[in-house]
Order: sequence, then structure tokens, then C-alpha cells
Amino acid sequence: MSIIQRAAWVSAVGVSIVVGGGAANAEASEVRLGGAGATFPAPLYTKWVAEYEKVAPGVRIDYRSIGSGGGVKAITDKTVAFGASDAPLTKREIEAMGGPDKIIQIPAVIGGVVPAYNVPGLSQPLNFSGEVLADIFLGKISTWDDPRLQELNSGVSLPKLAITPAFRTDGSGTTHVFSSYLATQSPTFKGEVGAGKQVKWPLGQGGKGNEGVAAVIQQTAGSIGYIEQNYAVANKIAYGAVRNKSGKFVLATPETMSVAGEGAATTLQGTVLRADIWDQPGDSTYPISAFTYIILYKDLVNLKTESEAKALVNFLNWATGDGQKFANQMDYAPLSSGVKKAVDAALSTLTHNGKPVK
Amino acid sequence: MTTDARAIPSAPFSPNASGGRADSLRRSFRFGDAMLGLVCRGSAAVIAIMLGALVLVLLTSAMPAIKEFGFGFLVSSEWRVNELERPLKDAAGNVVVEDGEIVMETIKPAFGALPVIYGTAVSSLIALLIAVPLSFGAALFLVRVAPTLRMAGPLSFLIEFLAAIPSLAYGIWGLFVLAPFLQTHVGPAVKSALENVPGLRWMFYESVTIAGTVVERPIPITGRDMFCGSLVLAIMILPIVTSVSRDVLKAVPRTQIEGTLALGATWWQSCVAMLRYGRSGLFGAVMLGLARAAGETMAITMVIGNNNQINPSPFAPAQTMASLLANEFAEASEGLHQASLLYVALVLLVMSLLFNIIARRLVVGKASPAGH
Repeated sequence: MSIIQRAAWVSAVGVSIVVGGGAANAEASEVRLGGAGATFPAPLYTKWVAEYEKVAPGVRIDYRSIGSGGGVKAITDKTVAFGASDAPLTKREIEAMGGPDKIIQIPAVIGGVVPAYNVPGLSQPLNFSGEVLADIFLGKISTWDDPRLQELNSGVSLPKLAITPAFRTDGSGTTHVFSSYLATQSPTFKGEVGAGKQVKWPLGQGGKGNEGVAAVIQQTAGSIGYIEQNYAVANKIAYGAVRNKSGKFVLATPETMSVAGEGAATTLQGTVLRADIWDQPGDSTYPISAFTYIILYKDLVNLKTESEAKALVNFLNWATGDGQKFANQMDYAPLSSGVKKAVDAALSTLTHNGKPVK
Repeated sequence: MTTDARAIPSAPFSPNASGGRADSLRRSFRFGDAMLGLVCRGSAAVIAIMLGALVLVLLTSAMPAIKEFGFGFLVSSEWRVNELERPLKDAAGNVVVEDGEIVMETIKPAFGALPVIYGTAVSSLIALLIAVPLSFGAALFLVRVAPTLRMAGPLSFLIEFLAAIPSLAYGIWGLFVLAPFLQTHVGPAVKSALENVPGLRWMFYESVTIAGTVVERPIPITGRDMFCGSLVLAIMILPIVTSVSRDVLKAVPRTQIEGTLALGATWWQSCVAMLRYGRSGLFGAVMLGLARAAGETMAITMVIGNNNQINPSPFAPAQTMASLLANEFAEASEGLHQASLLYVALVLLVMSLLFNIIARRLVVGKASPAGH
């Protein structure tokens, strides 16, 4: 019986998908929204979209993970309802969209980047510090039994093995976060390599995407690379703890990354929210964390109807609220309460053709 | 050309032009002819327009980079997407300090295509070195040996089947089978055999600038390098080079072969004569292979290591123009970066066009006398 009912319901929805596109009937018509951008939060966004369809049937959202650059371009061209980017908008990108008072940028979730390595014979996570990581990627520390590594890992017998750094060859938010963090830790790194979505590493092996770097790490004894925390967890790749600003060695977990976000909550003002949350103070803060952002037009002129605008605002409120519980499950870090407040304030300013969206 | 096209179909009907039925038949045929003519011309024009539009779009979007770098782009080897900020140093190498503060200088992003042009050229050339002898051998076998063994059909099918395998499949095979094999077996074996041979040190060691000082480091053998990329390319261009050279060799007149045999040539000598006779066509086949190798993207991106550097060692990672685009285009949002990538695409397009034009002139233009 219930199966038949469900089947009938599903087919009704199916018919409404086919028929309801331009229907005047508000209840039967379904709303379709498109988003595009960053690949890093894509698994979570896909989950959100699927879960939100249960909460609000009739709202269909398609998220295409085409990369942050593509997401910024898509929202600038107004071809999507929202864009997603791992790096906050640059000044030039904000100008291209019409200036800071025309747009809204909110953090959606927090991710961390971890130093993952392949060192045979270790039973516990290694400890790293920012300066040591920078010098490893600069080539100044070239073997695992280097005294500076040994000093951070007393009691661990480190092998006499050459270090092969592994890095992302494609432009990515992951590289942006990791290089930005290292640039704060080492002036030499800042001057020689610098920070950005794509930087020129002086040595090492490249891989395309998280999977490419993970492949290099897994296939090369003595290698160390940077990958997203949830990718490392999902693929059981060993990664180390990093010393934070308070001098504590912290492993990346959803909790320690979430704390990093809270530290920056007070700096989130206005509607173009951005905060670099690497190297935040606090005993339990993981230092290589970052927000990933969703970008919108403040006046949702890129959406045709008010019901589309409403659906988008409802979805974003849900995603940054109830939806955050899925972040934990998928090894992203949820937004803390202070950050959520700033996000709510920014979202409440959204309008459609000048009218507030309620 | 157009008068020829009209003359051929109308010829059979002109003797019957008097009858009424034949007349209407003729008229309807003329209508059909006109339609077909239009459709064909339209199709041809669309292809030409598409190529033209492609070049135009590439040119306009690459213009910022063309204006900024000019032809120097082709010979500059620095490719750095991000800005650098570091302490300004004076001529003596001392940090400049003004009012108690260190003066910082900002170094703009730099884009130069030499490493990827080098990577494309070298990987394609190594691929040709491996694939061409194999292809010529296989083509000779198909033309001269296989027919007597009744194997020409199945073998040709197998070789053309290689061409139908998606390049992603080659890439995955390269990444998960070939690269680990090269890393664990071939690389170490070659290294232990040749490492201490004088003059071959460059194959296994590289000089890296670490914080201003040049340090020599052994190149880690990972299997994802120039050599692996070239090997995968070689396998991918085998089918096209083989099938084109087979057709060229088939077109060598029988009298030519019989003539050499009559003059007392051995089987080997007559094969050499055959190759020599079809040399321009064979060269065309090679050029087609080269064009394919230079433009290959998916597979090479997975196995070449993707490092924008000029390193003579076959065991060092490299980058080709196509793999650079595959790696960087998705995230390239800043104006000059994207324009530079499109500049690279333009260079690649022009290069492929040139290869194809040369190949066509050689295969179609000069080899055709061999067919008649």
C-alpha cells in the first residue's frame, strides 16, 4: 500500500517536473536553482541538496563542481543562482560583480588541510610546526631524521630517508590555504614561493587533485604532501598534528577546525564576509583551516521569480543552520554560533527586485 | 570546380530531354541537385567558419597576454601565477630599510611557455622514436607478409581497435599499471646501470635552488615522468601511424616491387626500396602521429608528472601544453593567467594546424602518383 502511494507520489512529482516548469500553480510548480563552483565542498553540497529535497519537496538545486574560478565566473555572468569559491573574492572580482554593496559572501562550512605523509614504521601521528613544514617544502629540510623534525617528535625513531614533497599541480583552494598558512610562518617561504591557488614549488612531485597528491604519497616512501582533511580520513592516509599559535600540537578534526572559525567570528562584519582563519589563537585550534564561501548577488536579479528567490534564501538558511549537522558526518567542520550569527545577518539583507525576501 | 560538379550529374539526362516525363524527372533531379549542393556547401562552410571562429575567439581572449608578453612568451621559462612579496634588496644584496621598516617589493606573476613547448616537443619526439619504427615494421608486415598468411584483416582490425580506446583508458592504465612498473622495476634498474657512467649524471640528479643556494639532489623516481608520458603517447599514436603508412605502402605500384626483385634485390632490399618510394607519404604519417601526440591531453596529464620545468632527464616530471591547460584552466580566474593559458592554446592550435597541413601535403599531394 505504502509502496503504491509512494510510487504515485513519485510519479506525480515526475509529472510536475515535466509539466510544472512554467505552470502558474504555485504549489504544483517546482523551483529549480543552479549553483556552481568549488570542488572541495562539493560532496557536502551534494548531500545538502539531496537532504533539502526531503525538507522542501519541489525545490531542486543542481550544484556543479567546476572549480572555484569557474564558480566566480558563473555568478559574475549571472548564469547561476549562487557561486561557490574556496578563496574569498579578490578586490578585482568584487569590482567585476558591481562592488561590495552589490554582493553577499558567506562562509558555508570549514575545511582543513593536513600534512599527509608516507613514512614506514610509524605508530603515531608525527608533529609538525609551521616553520618546519615551510622548510620541508622549500627543501631546507631534506631527510626525515633532520634534528628539527626529531626535536618536535622526541621519542619517535625517525628513519634516515629522503623527503619528497608532494603538491597540487592544478589551481585549488587547498593550495591557497596551505601556502597562505606557510607564508605566515616563514618570511623566506613568503618571498620565494608565496601564497595563492597555484604557486611554483621549488622541488618535489606534483599530482592533480587530492587523488593525484594522495597517489604520489602512497606510492613514494618518504613523501609528504598536503591534502584536505576529509579526503585523508576517507582514504585512511596518515597525517600529522600541527603546532598552533598557542604552541600546542593539534590534529585536524571537525571540532578543532570549527574552533578556528569561532576565533574569527568577531571580524565578520557586513555582507561580504571573509576571514582568514589559519593560525588562529586558542589551545585546541587547528591552524591550517579555512572557510569555503558561497557568493550571491544582494539583489537576486539573476533569479527570474520571487519564488525562486525565496527558495534560495530558505535553502541557504537551512544549509547554514540545520544542514550543518551533515558537515560533521562528512568530516567538514560546522560553522560555530558566532559565525552563524554573522551569516544570518548577511542573508537577511537579500532582496529580489528591491523587495526583501521573506 | 563548380562547372565540373554541374556537368557530371546532368550528362546522362541530356539525351532524353525531349520527353515530358523525362523533363519533370530532370527538373526534380535538378532541384535535388541544387539542394544537395547547398547542403554540401553549407556543411563545408560551417566547418571552415567553426575553425575561423575558434582562432578568432582564441586570439581575442589571448590578446591581453599577447600584448603583455609578445613573442617573448614563447622563450620565457618562468610560469608563476601568484604575486610574490619580499624584502627589497639593493645592488649589494642588502635588505633596504627605510624609517626603521623593511621595504617590500611586489613581484608580478610571470608567464612563459618555454617549459611546456619543450615538454610537448620532447615527449612527442620520444614517442615518435618509439612508435615510428614499430609502425613501419607493422605496416610492412601488413602489406607484404600478412596477406600470404591471411592475417591482414584481423591484424588491421586490432591495430585500428587501439585507436578506438578512449584516451582516459590509456591514462588510467598508465597511472596504475605502467607508472608503478617503471617506478619499481625499470627506473631503479636503469639508474643502477647508468648512474656511474661518466656524462650521464644529468639523468638522475637535478640542481635545485633552495633559499638562494644551488643544491644537487637525486631525482626521485616516481614513474610519472617524461619517459612514462612518452611511452603512453607512443602507444596512442601507433594506430594512426601504422594505418596511414600501411595505406601508403599499399599504394606502391606492384611493378615497382617486381622491378626491384627482377634486378636481384633481396626481400630486405626490396622492402627498403618500397619504403624509399613511399617516403613522402610515410613522412606524412609521422607528421599525423606528431600532431596527435602534441595535442593529446587526458592520458598525458595523468602520467607526465605536471611540473613546468625544463629538465633534460627522462625521469623528471614535465608538462605539455595540453596538460598545462587541463591542470590550470578550471581555476584560472585572474585575467592575465587565463589569457596566458589561451595564448598557449593558440600556439598549440597553430602548431597542430601546421603539422596537419604538412602531413596532408605529403600524403595526399606527393604520394598519390604512387597509387596510379
